[in-house]
Formats: sequence, C-alpha cells, structure tokens
Amino acid sequence: MASTAVAEAPRPAGFRFGRAARRYGWTVAVYALLALLMVITIAIKPDYGSFEWNTLTLAALPLAFAAVAQTMVVLSGGIDLSVGPLMALANVLALRAMLGHDLNYSLVVALIVLLEVTLAGALNGAIIVVTRVPDIVITLATSFIWAGLALLVLAKPTPGIPLDFQNLAQGSTFSPWVPNALLVLLVIPLVWIPLRRSRAGLAIYAVGSDRNAAFRSGVNLGWSRLLAYAVCGFFAACGGLALSMTTGVGTPLAGTYYTLSGVSAIVLGGVSLAGGRGGMLGPVAAAYILSLIPAVLIYLGIDPNYGQMIQGVLIVIVVMIGGLGVVLRRA
Amino acid sequence: MTHRERPLTAGRLVAALLVAAFALAACGGSTGGGTTTKYVVGVSNTLQGNGWREEMICSIKAQAKVSGVVSKVIIANRNTDAAGQIADIRNLISSGANVIVINPSDRDALNAVIKQATDKGIVVVAVDQAVSEPSAYVVTNDQVAYGNLGADWLAKKLGGKGSIIEMRGINGVPADTDRHQGLTAALANYPNIKVVKQTFTNWSLDPAAQQMKDIFSSGIKFDGIWTSGIDATVVDQFQSANKPYVPIVGADNNKFVQDLATLKDKGLTGAAVTNPPPIGGAGLAVGLATLQKSKTYDHVIHLTPQVWDNTTADGVAKLAATYDSALDPYYSVAFDVKPYTTYSKQDLISCQGPS
Repeated sequence: MASTAVAEAPRPAGFRFGRAARRYGWTVAVYALLALLMVITIAIKPDYGSFEWNTLTLAALPLAFAAVAQTMVVLSGGIDLSVGPLMALANVLALRAMLGHDLNYSLVVALIVLLEVTLAGALNGAIIVVTRVPDIVITLATSFIWAGLALLVLAKPTPGIPLDFQNLAQGSTFSPWVPNALLVLLVIPLVWIPLRRSRAGLAIYAVGSDRNAAFRSGVNLGWSRLLAYAVCGFFAACGGLALSMTTGVGTPLAGTYYTLSGVSAIVLGGVSLAGGRGGMLGPVAAAYILSLIPAVLIYLGIDPNYGQMIQGVLIVIVVMIGGLGVVLRRA
Repeated sequence: MTHRERPLTAGRLVAALLVAAFALAACGGSTGGGTTTKYVVGVSNTLQGNGWREEMICSIKAQAKVSGVVSKVIIANRNTDAAGQIADIRNLISSGANVIVINPSDRDALNAVIKQATDKGIVVVAVDQAVSEPSAYVVTNDQVAYGNLGADWLAKKLGGKGSIIEMRGINGVPADTDRHQGLTAALANYPNIKVVKQTFTNWSLDPAAQQMKDIFSSGIKFDGIWTSGIDATVVDQFQSANKPYVPIVGADNNKFVQDLATLKDKGLTGAAVTNPPPIGGAGLAVGLATLQKSKTYDHVIHLTPQVWDNTTADGVAKLAATYDSALDPYYSVAFDVKPYTTYSKQDLISCQGPS
C-alpha cells in the first residue's frame, strides 16, 4: 500500500477517479454518516437550533483534538497510550499559570503550554526511537509519568481559567451557527496541511506504510517518528487547553476518557491502525459522530446504557464496510 | 448568549420535510394532556455500574412517579468527565427539562451551564456532591457528620479507651476526606482511643476482605473497627477466621443490617450509619416544590445521617424492620429521606418512572 502514499510523481490521468475513490472513499462515507445522523437528529428534534449545534461543537472539541493527536502517531505506524495524560498535563499547567491573569497573559501561557507538551510528546518519540522498545510499552509507561506529573502540578480540581480565555471556545463571536468551538478546530488544518505537503509529512506516511521501503528510499526513520510524536503532543496540548476552555477548571484526571475514545474516533474515521493510511478529516467527523450519539439518546429519552453499545456496533459496522472495500479492491 | 435567532434555510427545509415524514417520531413536548401542568425531569449522572448511584436514580424515578406532576424523566447516565457532563446538561436543557437533578463530577466546572439553565427558569438541584454555583440547589448527605457520628458511637461503646481500625474509602475522594475529618474530630474528644491501623478499601469488597485477613495474621491488637461502608465483608472475615467479634461501625447496607440483627446473640455489636441514596429523590422533591412555588427551601441542604445500633431498643427495632431478604447484600436499605421523599419502598425497588 506504500505506493498510494509515496509515489506521487507518475500519475496517468485515467486512474484519477479510482485513486480518489480509494483515498477519500472512507472519508466521504464518514461525512455521509454524520450527515445522516444530523438529519435523523433534526427529525427527532424539529426545533434543533444553534444552542444544540453549539452543544455538539463543544462536546466534540476535546475529542477531535485527541483523535487528531492519535492519528498523527498511528499514521507513522505507532500508537500513543499517553494522549489522555498529555491532555491532563496541558490542562493543569494552563490552570496553574493562568490563575488570576488576563487574556493576553493567558494566550502567552497557552503558547508556552503548547511548547512544553509538544516537547513531552517528542520525548515519547525520542525514547521509542533510541531504546527500540515497542511504542505501546513506552507510551503505557510514560502515560503514568505524565499522569503523575499532572497530579504534582495540581493535586485536586481547581477553578480559575480566566473567563476571556474560556470564551475563546465557548459562545459564538461571529454567528450563532458558527460557534467558537468550531473555529478553534481550524488549528488542525493550519498545522496539518503544510505538514502533509512537506517532505517530512510524506515521510511520516512512508514510515507508517512500510518501514523497510521507506528506509531504502532514504527516509530518516528516527526523525520521522519523533516528529509524529511531537505533533501528537502538540495536538494533545490543544485538547487539554480545549478542556480548560470548555470547563473553566484544571483537573489532574482531565484526560482519562480521551486515550481510548480517541482511538475509537480514528478507527471510525478511516485511519488504519496498521499505519500509513488515513487523514485528519475522517477522525474529526468521527469525533462529531461519537459526540452526537449521546445527545440523540437524550433527545429520544432512551436508556443511556445503550449508548456504549450503539457506539461499538457503529464502529464494527463501519470497519466491516471499510474492510469489504479493501477485499473488493484486491479481487 | 442568544439562540435560534437566524433560521438556516436549508436546515429548516430539510427539517420541515422530515417533520412531515416522521411526525410520529416527534417528541419533546413539555406539557402533558392533563389539567395540571406536567414537568419534564432531567437527570445527569457520570458513573455507571455503581449500585449506590443506580439506587439514587431509582429514587428520582420513584419520586417523579408519586409526585403526579412529572410527565417524563430523561436520564443522561454514562461514564464521562466534566466536559461530557456539560454536554449532557445542555442536551437536557434542549430536551425541555424543567428540573435537572445532577450528581456533579466537579464542584466548579458545571457552573456556567448551570447558570444558563437557571437563567431559563429551570430548577437545578445538585445531589450527593455540592456545586459552587449559587443559583443551584444543593442537597447532600453530611459526610463529615457520617464520620463523626459513627466514630463517636464506637468510642462510647469502647468506654473511651482502646485501639480501633479505620477502613476508609477511596483516597482523595471528597466523601472520604470529609468522613475522615469527621472521625478525627470525634476522636479528639476521646484521647485514650487510638487509631492503630488505617486502610483504603476503595469501597470494594475484595480489598476489604484481604485487609482483614492481613490484620488478623499480623496480630495487631484492636478493640473496634470503623468502616466507610464495606461492612458485611468485615463481619464475614470474623466468621471465617473464627475470631470473637469486636464492635463494628458500618453503613445501611442490607447484609450488615441483617448481621447486626441476627448475630447479636453471637456477640456482634455494631451500628449502621445511614447514607441514603434516596438523596436523589429528596433533591427532586425540593426541585418540584420550588418549581410549583409550594414551598421555599434553602439553597444548601445538608442531611444528617441516622445511627441504627443493635444495643438500644430503638435501634434493634429499626434494624429488624429494614432488613429485606429479597434485596442484594449491599443494597442500601435507607429507603427514604423524610420529610422530602413520599414514595413507598415498593416504588423505589420497582424503579419505574412515570409512564
């Protein structure tokens, strides 16, 4: 499968449609599923308005960042079990430094936190590259380190994220239908599109697709993987800051739910856990789908214990359809 | 924040078409057909698979049913964090809830969304744990008093002299911290009572059983045990180790209540301190009364636990009356919170909301 990602140069015109379908088919399917769910939601709740839309964008924001962070690493052929604790670390660092300050100060703090947690992510990558211990082992270990560090920074949940900073994600500055929580997601394309188009981004796909082939093509494996973990750290920090903005508090256990739900989102979003396949659009839509399901259940008044089952069934169905696509292509 | 001011034409068109097609699916009206106003009740809970929390939710359903003024109870119950609970509460607002009963996952993180709800005239009641938003009602069991009353009973029972074991809950959880604070304050009055061993059971049975085995085999001398609610398991360990009982303080769990009533002849003395899950139903009663303006309540209500011991006639009568062989060992048998809840025990156990 390496050829789909790496060999860009020879491109006979006739294959374009097939290639596009292969590359974007899953993404289109995920967006179609999201659209279908939205239509069902509006059917169930005819007065679906900007308040409800805002609820969805707020709920999906931290999960979208967690999913995108995990996608970075999975594309490079790895896995990061420390995404949630990295989010918690960013969340508590932000609270400690922002407490009692104004917006400008908070923005500077946010930049510093982004840098710090990006470095923490890079450290994950560096340990994995240098020691050659499997990433699942290293990130499991570092997940405890980041979680412990978060507890050292802040022992218990504490309020005090400046209101102006919270409003960067809450509310709607431009239009009720364009909530700030949606605009904050623009950070993803701002970082991802230039990266995706650069040699470094291509190298990450190459390493994830086939490590040997990438090495023989002259890709620096170590640096590519380290870069993927660093960018993962950056997006995890965005997720932690998103939690600060949506809840207004710092909590040392903030990221607990996001490591695994992030993995659910990327599977649903068409990112291959084997590495090298997928993009950022799918996981973001998947984060919206996974956040919409509990809302629909509440609108319907259905026993919420079914919520997790529905999520699981949805993932199995989508993965089966995706797998069917792969089988048909090979036949 | 303003809502629903600019119609999205495409969205409206799709919505209109679908309303026609799915007219039957439409729900979410907040008024019933009867002569009296009917209210919609929303519940937000963030811990699934916990017996105490399930009973709390049942008490809300039961109280909603007997109140006669509730048309629907919508329950948002999933394992999630404060960010998820904010979304759940917003969705309950969207669903037309008039009263929202929440067991908060964080003291401060929900304040903004609670304020949004109360600004819309929704009555928000936080139960079991407090929130700091002043427009919300807070109805909680007084956990400091829970620790205080049980420890005081134990110290008196031991004649103000002896060694006790303190079997706590989960380290760092507010209820555990509060109970420990109450216990410490009570024991300050009894300088000859010493806490010789402290354990964390994590409110789970297996660790508590193992800790008792370890205590027996270590040969620590003790005269009494205070537990944070994993009580019947401790009694079982005395039986299987064939050791003479010491006074034990526990909670209002079905099996422990039975033990206190039936093992008294075998030398077991003890007290059950109540921590009623029906705090949820009590919270709903406060919310509904506020909504109907039938009664005015303080915004913060702390309920003091009761102590049921098997050494007084009153206590023995209470213990004998509350044990129910049909229920699970750790079902909490404090069925009501008087004078707030008005449902019967059967209403609670059947766990049915208004249909």
